[in-house]
Amino acid sequence: MEESTLRYEKIDFLGEGQFATVYKARDVKTDKIVAVKKIKIGSRLEAQDGINRTALREIKLLQELQHINLIGLLDVFGQKSNVSLVFDFMDTDLEIIIKDNNIVLTPANVKAYMIMTLKGLEYLHQNWILHRDLKPNNLLINREGILKIGDFGLAKAFGSPTRINTHQVVTRWYRSPELLFGARQYGTGVDMWAIGCILAELLLRVPFLPGESDLDQLSRIFQVFGTPTEETWPGMKSLTDYVQYKQFPAQQLRHIFSAASDDLLQLMESLLALYPPRRCDCTQALQMPYFSNKPAPSVGSKLPMPSNITKIETEKPSLKRKLLDNIDGGLLAKKLQF
Amino acid sequence: MMPGRIGHLPIAAENPLGLSWHDSAWIPSLNPSNIMDYFSERSNPFFDRTCNNEVVKMQRLNMDQLRNMTGLEYILLHVQEPILYVIRKQHRHSPDQTIPLADYYIIAGIVYQAPDLASVLNSRLLSAVHHLQCSFEETMTYSKYHPSKGYWWDFKANKSGPFNMGQSAPKEVTSTPKEEPSTLFQRQRVDMLLAELVRQFPLPVTQTTINQNGVTVKTENTNDKSSEKGGEGNLNNIQIKQEPMDPISSDMTNGNMQGHMDIKTEIKQENMKPPPEKKPRI
Repeated sequence: MEESTLRYEKIDFLGEGQFATVYKARDVKTDKIVAVKKIKIGSRLEAQDGINRTALREIKLLQELQHINLIGLLDVFGQKSNVSLVFDFMDTDLEIIIKDNNIVLTPANVKAYMIMTLKGLEYLHQNWILHRDLKPNNLLINREGILKIGDFGLAKAFGSPTRINTHQVVTRWYRSPELLFGARQYGTGVDMWAIGCILAELLLRVPFLPGESDLDQLSRIFQVFGTPTEETWPGMKSLTDYVQYKQFPAQQLRHIFSAASDDLLQLMESLLALYPPRRCDCTQALQMPYFSNKPAPSVGSKLPMPSNITKIETEKPSLKRKLLDNIDGGLLAKKLQF
Repeated sequence: MMPGRIGHLPIAAENPLGLSWHDSAWIPSLNPSNIMDYFSERSNPFFDRTCNNEVVKMQRLNMDQLRNMTGLEYILLHVQEPILYVIRKQHRHSPDQTIPLADYYIIAGIVYQAPDLASVLNSRLLSAVHHLQCSFEETMTYSKYHPSKGYWWDFKANKSGPFNMGQSAPKEVTSTPKEEPSTLFQRQRVDMLLAELVRQFPLPVTQTTINQNGVTVKTENTNDKSSEKGGEGNLNNIQIKQEPMDPISSDMTNGNMQGHMDIKTEIKQENMKPPPEKKPRI
């Protein structure tokens, strides 16, 4: 235990949340920059299980998950009565990028973010885990341009037919209609809906459906996609929190996302299908034409970074390599002259 | 203009140079500050909505960001108020390097694509060649041939006809069939000659029919007529007399006026003897 606390040198304070404080630190052992999330003990009630529930979820799940597009849990250590989690250090997140008006998100950038998110989520779903709190703020990005899904505080295994889940998950703006109607049994659709909302936000640079209450959220959803009927959504009326809404006609997505290509709109319509079984899953989404059509997704080094973060110097090695190549070329030319 | 064009949209999609677009609701209020918005109307076929302009607009960013982007963009290139605006479509490679792709001009609110040099040259060359070809074709219509005379120019025949080869040509084609009576005259004359031959040489009828086939391939109906009308040769002759009076018909039949006059006179003199007269000429 003592070794662990000494292993990480605190560099900077990064932020404080409801359950934890996050520091930037250096791993003395590997000389790597990491993020240390120090879990707050919280109230006596929260602490009676021994450890905060969200922290327990993260530890439990992330220990078994290894994917380039999921945040890596590097270490867990306790100090006195505190528990600290050590994660990959991530420079920024998608929310900061979306809100940075100096950044233009090109279609290629949007595609790159979507691919990385869907790949991470596909791995998660394949392991029967729902994230349940996808939003731009939880899509972390490092200076190499790699996106990793973070914050598994609400993540949970799914697929058990008897288990009842809470519907009070997912930040409201990214919450799917079935959750808003109070569904207790749901699947990957809740994450797919959130991905759709994030895609829309990447295009518009403002939250697509910023509901002010749960009722307003549904109203906003139906104003865009049209109010579902028993034909378009069988069983909708049997959901616990079902409320009758005014009949709104569906809008054309291409009028809202004026610069979006048709293949992108096809993906978005598939992600934001009101009837959950009609929503695509990650694998289906990644198979859609959008991801194989032009333009190609931006490579990590070409993805934008907020101005306060200096990009990693990728130019230097390539320049060096170029020079080396030139030298090699010169040698080759000489050989040819022989 | 639009309604007419709509029907041709599929063709226009292949060649934007044959296309124009306008939205009459906008036209009264066009000015340099809104001309780009006008151009980026959804229905404008010249506007590619995946361009950087639309990306920036959709993301609610400042249009100044365009300079930092790469790819397709539109700029307002030239303004000549109040009537003319020129918009350029270009591919931006860096903040200070762009490659023009196309120019569009908006005259009185109507948008056209300015043709590129290659298209202009192509079009001009094509029309030059076309007119040359037309002139040759027209010239061809004046050249006449007869086995007995060889080739000659005949400018009178189709006087009304060949001036315009374009669309009026079919009219002349229809008008020439109207002059068929003259060719009918020719047939009748041939019929008459044949009938005369048949009369003169009753026995070798088969031979003459063979000759007849060789001379006029035109129609067998006339032959039938000839056999029917063979007895009424006199009537035929009277008609023939009348017809050569019409210069057009005479031209059509034989080109050479003199020959005809001769025939006419001969017919007048002796009803059934023109063929022998003609033979020595050949």
